[in-house]
Amino acid sequence: MMDKKINYGSLRMKAGLELHQQLDTTRKLFCNCSTGMKERLPTATITRKLHPVASELGMVDIAAQFEYLRDRSFHYQIFNNETCLVELDEEPPHHLNSEALEIALQIALLLNCEVPNEIFVMRKTVIDGSNTSGFQRTVIVGINGHISYKGKRIPITQVTLEEDAAAIVGEENGKATYRLNRLGVPLVEIDTGILEGYSPMELQDIAYQIGILARSTSKTKHGLGSIRQDVNVSIRNGPRTEVKGVQELGLLSKIVEFEVQRQMKEKPKEETRAANLDGTTRFLRPLPGANRMYPETDIPPVIIVKEYIENLKKNLPEPWTNKLERFKAKLRLPDGLAREILGSEYLSLFEKIVSTKKVEPTIVANAFTSVMKDLERREKIEITRISEYRFVEIFDCLQNKEITKEAIPEIIKYLAAYPQNGVGDALKELDLKPLTTADVREITKEIVSQPNIKFEKAYGIVMSKVRGKIDAQEVMKIVKSMMK
Amino acid sequence: MYSQEIESLLKSKKIRIGDKVLIIRGKSEYAGILMPRIKLGDVSSLVIKLPNGYNIGIKHEKDMKIRRLEPGRPIRFKPAEAVQRKDPEKPTVSILGCGGTIASRVEYTTGAVYPAFSPADLLLSFPELADIANIKSRKLFDLLSEDMTPEHWKIIAQEVVKEIQSGVDGVVLMHGTDTLHYTAAALSFMLRDLPVPVVLVGAQRSSDRGSSDNLVNLVSATVVAAQSSIAEVVVCMHGSMSDDFCYLHQGTKVRKLHTSRRDAFQSVNVRPYAKIFYPDKKIEYLRNDYKVREKKTVKLDDKLNTNVALVYVYPGIKPEFIQSLRNFDGIVIAGTGLGHVPTNPMNDKFTQSLLPSLRNLIHSNIPVVIAPQTIYGRLDLDVYEAGRMLNEIGVIGDGCDWTPETALVKLMWVIGHTKEMGKVKEMMLTNYAGELGDRTV
Repeated sequence: MMDKKINYGSLRMKAGLELHQQLDTTRKLFCNCSTGMKERLPTATITRKLHPVASELGMVDIAAQFEYLRDRSFHYQIFNNETCLVELDEEPPHHLNSEALEIALQIALLLNCEVPNEIFVMRKTVIDGSNTSGFQRTVIVGINGHISYKGKRIPITQVTLEEDAAAIVGEENGKATYRLNRLGVPLVEIDTGILEGYSPMELQDIAYQIGILARSTSKTKHGLGSIRQDVNVSIRNGPRTEVKGVQELGLLSKIVEFEVQRQMKEKPKEETRAANLDGTTRFLRPLPGANRMYPETDIPPVIIVKEYIENLKKNLPEPWTNKLERFKAKLRLPDGLAREILGSEYLSLFEKIVSTKKVEPTIVANAFTSVMKDLERREKIEITRISEYRFVEIFDCLQNKEITKEAIPEIIKYLAAYPQNGVGDALKELDLKPLTTADVREITKEIVSQPNIKFEKAYGIVMSKVRGKIDAQEVMKIVKSMMK
Repeated sequence: MYSQEIESLLKSKKIRIGDKVLIIRGKSEYAGILMPRIKLGDVSSLVIKLPNGYNIGIKHEKDMKIRRLEPGRPIRFKPAEAVQRKDPEKPTVSILGCGGTIASRVEYTTGAVYPAFSPADLLLSFPELADIANIKSRKLFDLLSEDMTPEHWKIIAQEVVKEIQSGVDGVVLMHGTDTLHYTAAALSFMLRDLPVPVVLVGAQRSSDRGSSDNLVNLVSATVVAAQSSIAEVVVCMHGSMSDDFCYLHQGTKVRKLHTSRRDAFQSVNVRPYAKIFYPDKKIEYLRNDYKVREKKTVKLDDKLNTNVALVYVYPGIKPEFIQSLRNFDGIVIAGTGLGHVPTNPMNDKFTQSLLPSLRNLIHSNIPVVIAPQTIYGRLDLDVYEAGRMLNEIGVIGDGCDWTPETALVKLMWVIGHTKEMGKVKEMMLTNYAGELGDRTV
């Protein structure tokens, strides 16, 4: 159980955050494959071994690597359009994707980083098989940045642009299977400095703030796995544990709490742990030693021209941290709803609608978040079948009082079923003309006149007749008043 | 090298590459190890390695300050001792280094790649070798294979003979892959009466990475050298994109057919001699028409005339081009299709026939050899008019199934032995090293 009384200050809890955000580019970082990750079935599989590589660490390190790799083989699944010889480590990398570089630089600038004048792609040795080459390509695009949080300065030590690793499918008897379509998708890693004096909840919120700053570029991927966070935790200046792969931001504070409790009970070791879905962690491997990092000699360094950076700085998108505040202050969205709409794929459509139509922003935000989620989850509606301008039509109708907000779910359902039809058709076929209170009184009168009818039942019957045509609150008021 | 400005700044501050430095520019500070400047990029940017291993470039500007925090320590790679005790039960294999990707090591601080050829280096990187054989090794030279010349083939041939005479059970040659098949063909002609296998091996992926094909290739090549019953010049390289087996190719019938894939080397017009499975190290023979190990004395026959040209035929090729070749002692023409060049039997107004210029060359005692630019398949100069006309003027190659590269190397070797046109033709059409197959598969 969670111990609410933990005093993180007196435990001298230190934490460091690493956020990984996939970029939504057309092409991968070092080749022209699609970053779609849409293919389901592999077209072929190849099998590889990795072997120890000599390093300055000498025999011991080699022996450890050898032991680890001896009985392991790696199976790589190949996907149409999403894998080529580059991911197979059968062709040298192409030039650094300039679209990805630009987005990464924007993120670095949004995090107030300095951008080096020349950047060098490095190879970081990785022997778990998640990279066919045995290393991950990574490049620093920003250092010495910061954001402010509750008036304090949160140091951002560096922002790197790297190739995402292949996703593991499973491992059995030393045979690890990976999907190669994720390998090479551009990924931005943002590292904070050591954060001391923050509660787990505050750490989670800091991670959130950094996350939305990165997403301010609108060029980041959505969905599970598109953003992953690692968190380093230590207490009382003890050894540091790294917890990897937190995919749900909401779990971060819990993970930190559990990890602190674990470290209080067990004697912590320097190690890497993986996040479980319930917020607990499991041992993964010892912490890697000093990064074995050396230049990627197949890719020339990239000179970052001053004027280019000045130009990027001038045209930076509005930071979503500002947008969040603006949504709350100007559009009067509650905090939770504001965060939800920021995380929605329909953010830009939402902004377009609230800036051009006279409709209540909360209604629009709700429609794009809870209403849609509900329809998708409960009624298995395929929202993606509805084109954007249909939504604009819906809010036109709302603005012109042709419908009430209660009609929105019904119309969405209809449009998903008949994507070729318009909102006008929906109104005609569903009979969604708004009712006046007089109309409702008329209907209610008949129902409440039934002998011994209880309020709940009467309300239910009335609602079934007027759903989608008038505000439910209004109906409740009418039924209540007429039952007195 | 850095720009002159930076070089003199460093000199004045007595800062050397490898020193830990602090760079101050405006409000920003950067601490790290000063790295050598690579040729690409901006020479007026200082490259430093940050404590976490990343390199970044910082442009030299007037207000910039740099000072040394700590002198650099010379970083030298010190391999742990990996000395193999000689096992009399095991065969002995000699591994000779000729350069290339296969046996180089990366120095992690600078990223510089340097060759690793000593037995200790090899056994450290490939401990499995010690299970297969007693390993002898030395470096002949360290060369990118595109820089290799016929002079290097001779050195290799001579050194292989020395190794065989010293009594080893097989020789492995580590070689760059670009021209590996030329060297394989050359050694096939120059090393006569081989008693043991001579195995050429390379790698398509650099050896600094855990995924390099060097391990599977070198281990398989060593297995062949130590155990196989084949006593020929052979090439041992990856058989597929997976790390599952290598193919063993006949030295005169193999070619690099891909710029980058692991299985770039393919047997042409024949099946490979064998498959070597990894990690089982088992040999499966696919043919039995090879020369077998037996007690024989190897002979070196390294006479070459290297004044030979290899010309690729293309639409619109000019007779003047062919005429300009008259200072060569032999020409290989990579012809189209079955072995053709433009001969213009239809008297088209745009086409220029190469026949007169080729005839002139042959009349001046310059042998002209045809090979297929299709790489795969057998030449046939009887099927079309162009072929028949080429046959008439006396080109060499009708019915042959050699690759352009093997034909080139063979021509060098043949005209190293004779200048007499009839004898050249006779030798070219004599099968010396399996280069002429009588069945195409």
